Amino acid sequence: MVERRLKWLAWIVVAWGASIFLKLVSLQVIHHREYVNLARARQELVVEISGPRGTLFDRNGQVLAMSAPTESVYINPLKVPDLGLAAQILSAELQLDRAELFATMQAAKDNHRGFLWIKHRISYDESQHLKSLNLDWISLQHESQRHYPNGTLAAHLLGGVDFEEKGNGGIERALEADLKGVPGKMRLLTDVKRRGIDSRLASEPRAGQPVTLTIDAHLQFVAERELAAAVESHNAVSGSLVVMNPNTGDILALASYPTYDPNRPPQSSDIKNRENHAVSVPFEPGSVFKVITLSAGLETTKLRPDSPIDCHGGVLKLPGRVIHDSHGGTGVVPMETAFAKSSNIGAIMVGMRVGQENMYDYMRRFGFGRKTGITLPGESAGRVRKLSIWGTTSLASVSMGQEVSVTTVQLAQAGSVVANGGLLVRPRIVLKKGSQVQQPSAPVRVIKADTAITMRQMMEGVVLHGTGTGARLAGYTVGGKTGSAQIYDYAAHHYTHSYNGSFLGFAPITNPAIVVVVTINGTHGTAGFGGAVAAPVFKVVAGEALRVLDVPKDLPDDGLQVASVVPDVSDLADADLTAQGNILVDGDEEAPQAANASATQPVGPVAPAVPAPPDTRPRVPNFSGMTMRAVLAEAAAKGIAVVPAGSGIARMQSPPAGAVLHEGERIRVQFSR
Amino acid sequence: MATLARVFHKHEAAGPGGIPARQAGAPLDACALRALPQEDVFFYCKKIDNSRLVREPDPKAGGTCWSVIGAACLAALLLTAVGTVKVSTTMSGYKLEDLRAEERRLQDEQRALDLQEAELLSPERLEKLAKEQNLVTPSAGKVFRLDNNRPDGTVAMVK
Repeated sequence: MVERRLKWLAWIVVAWGASIFLKLVSLQVIHHREYVNLARARQELVVEISGPRGTLFDRNGQVLAMSAPTESVYINPLKVPDLGLAAQILSAELQLDRAELFATMQAAKDNHRGFLWIKHRISYDESQHLKSLNLDWISLQHESQRHYPNGTLAAHLLGGVDFEEKGNGGIERALEADLKGVPGKMRLLTDVKRRGIDSRLASEPRAGQPVTLTIDAHLQFVAERELAAAVESHNAVSGSLVVMNPNTGDILALASYPTYDPNRPPQSSDIKNRENHAVSVPFEPGSVFKVITLSAGLETTKLRPDSPIDCHGGVLKLPGRVIHDSHGGTGVVPMETAFAKSSNIGAIMVGMRVGQENMYDYMRRFGFGRKTGITLPGESAGRVRKLSIWGTTSLASVSMGQEVSVTTVQLAQAGSVVANGGLLVRPRIVLKKGSQVQQPSAPVRVIKADTAITMRQMMEGVVLHGTGTGARLAGYTVGGKTGSAQIYDYAAHHYTHSYNGSFLGFAPITNPAIVVVVTINGTHGTAGFGGAVAAPVFKVVAGEALRVLDVPKDLPDDGLQVASVVPDVSDLADADLTAQGNILVDGDEEAPQAANASATQPVGPVAPAVPAPPDTRPRVPNFSGMTMRAVLAEAAAKGIAVVPAGSGIARMQSPPAGAVLHEGERIRVQFSR
Repeated sequence: MATLARVFHKHEAAGPGGIPARQAGAPLDACALRALPQEDVFFYCKKIDNSRLVREPDPKAGGTCWSVIGAACLAALLLTAVGTVKVSTTMSGYKLEDLRAEERRLQDEQRALDLQEAELLSPERLEKLAKEQNLVTPSAGKVFRLDNNRPDGTVAMVK
């Protein structure tokens, strides 16, 4: 009996021990993972570590765009003790409408919603005030917000971001992959009071790469200011401006007007303001394009700056149309004079000597008809019609900058070819990604170096005594070309009296440091021509750029000669306003039939040049081999202004010996031993 | 005092059905106790006189005591040391996490300050301030820098 009882007792004890053991196995082996997760959920907090978006800098390290941490407020309406009081507190702290907020909170509570956003991206002060209230039903979520501290500065270049901080324009969109940051996660082990004891990185955060742009913030500001003033003062529609380093392709400023504030989300009312006119909106360049025509002429024909060009007294009849020179016209003049005065007929004569194939070839060589590859979305390639669909008078049109559409940045690229000695350099916006410097693209030879030098001299003539006198700078030699292209109305099929006034220029002539292109779209009257509206903008912007870049002067400050008469800035491309359908639109090869049978014939070779009358204009003397004393003495005797450089014997001079010496023109003489 | 002996003695006096359990004439065993009813278990008590028993002094007992005490103290010290390390680790963990949170807060504050600095240095604001102070932009070639090695271009003189 005793033994039985003892046995029962023993079995009870064994059973008890076994049940304890089984429970332990159940807890620590079978349901181990479940309880570990439960414990972790209670003990661990998942903390997000921000991966901020990359900052955008200008070339001098000034911040153009950066992301800063911010917080958003949310509540659980079901846990708020008093909705009315909560609405009062939150509306006072966050500047919200109390009644509207209360209604929203009440509706959320009635719908049993446990989560309600109150306000996104509050300010630092608002965040601190809310935290100081110590109310457990107010929760804050960390977020990031993109800021553009300079307001509208470089808005079209920078672009903007959407509510998820994803680029939706400009560099922000073009370099989204580099700029985008990836947030990380950290598991924080906490005690009962939710204080952190230990932490473990669950996923590594990745900050976006900082990007340095080529632009100079101060230059950009000056460019935007002057462009806005010019567009508004001339009641124009829009404008664009590009400042470029012709040797490296660095864009120092790129302005477009109208502009917008990237700090504000896009509105339907400012869609047009967000168009980047410098890159995305092509236009007919007009007389500015004569730079390409004459460059092609120098390269492919025997034309020289002093070659006589018959401007037909300012009127030229072509099949189906009549071309006029806007300033009354001239007879036979040297090519450089026709260029300086922006004679349309002179340009057409040169273009005809060049020929269609060569003209098309050089247009493409200068980069027209294809994108420059600048790191901005929405770039337009402009339009260069295929040679096979050129019409009877297309060569004439193209020679004076019509029947072709270009962008401002393409004009800057083309101007750089002349400025840097004949090389096509791609414009670029990005200087560095992180610490890695982006190498400029390899330049491509477009024209010969001496062609470029000759073009520079002719373009200096435009500024000295042509249509571009408004672009003269004190202390610097300047070369440029004005353009005043009539805007074509595609609906009415004729040109209007609105113009695109442009100026393409560079300085200094001896070693151009900058190329500046200014275009004002939708100007009116003679005051809207390029020389009147764009050249003054060039003067201010180029002057500031040369000062900022510390470019040494190549003229004394008092070398700026003010023209004694009102300069003739008229360089209108095609004054044929009365003819109908005289411009061939894309694909439309219809040409109005002229009464004269000969007008239906394709334009043939140019008639032999009319013998020029005896030229009695002063010529540049030959200083080669002379000492500086002898050069200065001869120049003083003849009343010629000389700019000597170096010492020793005269080796080179510009303009060359025998060239026509224009009034006020200085001769640069290089001396060496 | 109610003891088993007394209880058994009473029962013995009474016997089953009042019949005394012990028959007259049976020898009296001083140590034998009354048997339990219907049981064959007999209890005996024995008086043991241990007054002459003297505990011999154990020379090792003291040492053992001290050893036990020492071991206990050592164990306590070890536990304290382990506990202290753990507590110290936990306290350091608190400090470390506080420092990390402070670092994150300072980094966020630095970004906010960088942003504020950028806003203060915006060209538009500087232009406005310059106009208010009647300052003009120097023309080219009129600015002389004393120390060209400094990247910020210290300006000493405007001619």
